[in-house]
Amino acid sequence: MRILGLDTATSATTAAFLDTEAGIEVAARDDPPPGVRPRHTTELIALLVDVLGRAGAEWSDVDRIAIGVGPGTFTGLRIGVATGRALARAHGIAAVGISTLQSLALGASAAAPAGVVLPVLDARRGEVFAAAWSTPSSAGGPWRPLLEPLAVAPERLAELAPGLGENRLAIGDGSLAFRAVLERSGTVIPEDDSELHRVSAINHCRLAGVLSPPDRDGIRPHYLRLPDAELARRASQPT
Amino acid sequence: MILAIETSCDDTCAAVVDDGGEIRANVISSQGIHDRYGGVVPEIASRHHLELIGDAVDDALNQAQLTLPEVGLVAVTRGPGLVAALLVGVATAKALAAAHELPLAPVDHLHGHIAASFLAGSDFPTPFVSLVASGGHTFLAVVRDRGEGYEVLGETLDDAAGEAFDKGARMLGLGYPGGAALERLARGGDPEAFEFPTAARLRGLDFSFAGLKTALLYRVRDLGEAETERRRADLAAAYQRAIVEALAVRAERALSQTGLNRLAVGGGVAANGALRDRLARLGVELDVPPRELCTDNAAMIASAARYVPAIPYPDYFKLDVYATGERPVPA
Ligand SMILES: [Zn+2]
Repeated sequence: MRILGLDTATSATTAAFLDTEAGIEVAARDDPPPGVRPRHTTELIALLVDVLGRAGAEWSDVDRIAIGVGPGTFTGLRIGVATGRALARAHGIAAVGISTLQSLALGASAAAPAGVVLPVLDARRGEVFAAAWSTPSSAGGPWRPLLEPLAVAPERLAELAPGLGENRLAIGDGSLAFRAVLERSGTVIPEDDSELHRVSAINHCRLAGVLSPPDRDGIRPHYLRLPDAELARRASQPT
Repeated sequence: MILAIETSCDDTCAAVVDDGGEIRANVISSQGIHDRYGGVVPEIASRHHLELIGDAVDDALNQAQLTLPEVGLVAVTRGPGLVAALLVGVATAKALAAAHELPLAPVDHLHGHIAASFLAGSDFPTPFVSLVASGGHTFLAVVRDRGEGYEVLGETLDDAAGEAFDKGARMLGLGYPGGAALERLARGGDPEAFEFPTAARLRGLDFSFAGLKTALLYRVRDLGEAETERRRADLAAAYQRAIVEALAVRAERALSQTGLNRLAVGGGVAANGALRDRLARLGVELDVPPRELCTDNAAMIASAARYVPAIPYPDYFKLDVYATGERPVPA
């Protein structure tokens, strides 16, 4: 199967191509330097065209598009989902939504065998988006979800963490932003410059190969938060 | 054939227009969700755009009996508008175009409103003065040719005309958005019953509706609840007249200043009957496209795309959007 993957949930813009039969893996990414805004809108298409070109593939060769659905920045997610859906529509390609948290977890699973992997993304406003899976003891073994994706205060996540199991590894930009509070709970966090913290669409491609594609327009961002205006409206209504 | 996408505010629009300016499909998905918030909420509008854009594009292509590879050009609104909302349309348009290596035309939304008069139904010849009045914009421009080099002669310094209608409607208890309800109510009222300001002291061709809004607020307060209720139709008629006069007087001024005798009207407020009647009395050649081409739509974006340079594949990958009040950056 030939899979094109993309993710725009974090500040990174990432694209990848995976040909499971030919064993071809090509990835490309853009990470804005500190202080520079994410460049999803200006970089995403170029990165996708780049990985396709380097793999020697055409759009019509793609069997499946793996779209990162977050959680993450709302605007970034919409750029990724709109782009992925439109590409799928243009060539009648099946598409699947891939949890950005699960993709991060897959990338780190080898570093925490028979343990718990906790992908954590910075959700701003003093919160993180997080989830947890138990990792298999050997490659290809079964995964088990331990914590459904949620938006949570890092202090609360640190309270929950010990209950998830032993041998815990937290990764992602949220684990770096709140390193101290999470490490105090006994959760291990790799060095700041570790690749394990970065979302890579190649892991989206790997996950997409084993999922059954839903209707294209059924792929939606996992916002996990209501818009502020809706929160305000609900707060102002009598209960 | 041009496939166009428009998502600058709260309508999710896709259209197909042929190279002669004939509309083959004009799909408008109004979100109808913002009323409860009393205005358009960018995050909510953007979420809905993403929900609706796929079907809007499919419907437009199906109605036009066209497949994507048969499209010669993809056009999209690049600004001005709500950034998060624009990004949904631009991401979709870029991907659709790139997937078939089609050229892409980035369109200025205001040029789009003017270009509604270039569609086959109007085919209004240049030069002319354009008055665009909606809930989002109010401006006068001189249009010397069909390209994007229109010259803005005046614009609103505060509220847009459509906003003034909606705010007035709310003060008269007509809900939001209540512009159309206000017009209906005004039909049974006396426009001379009250005097409302038309910003007559404002020289030149700029507009201001903030004073009018305040005047209505004070009037409603002074009349008290019962009397306001009794005279609602008169208040609506007089308030509407003030907006219409403000628009018409400046349009007339723009016509005499430019020496032109053709006027095109666009934007949602162009659907207002009182405004149409008033402008018809100016005695100039008038073009008012049908209502669905005056409110936000993608057919007007396709129309404008016929007169802007298209960016060939793959040079538009870095295309970005621009917000209301911002200047476009080079593609
Ligand atoms: Zn508009």
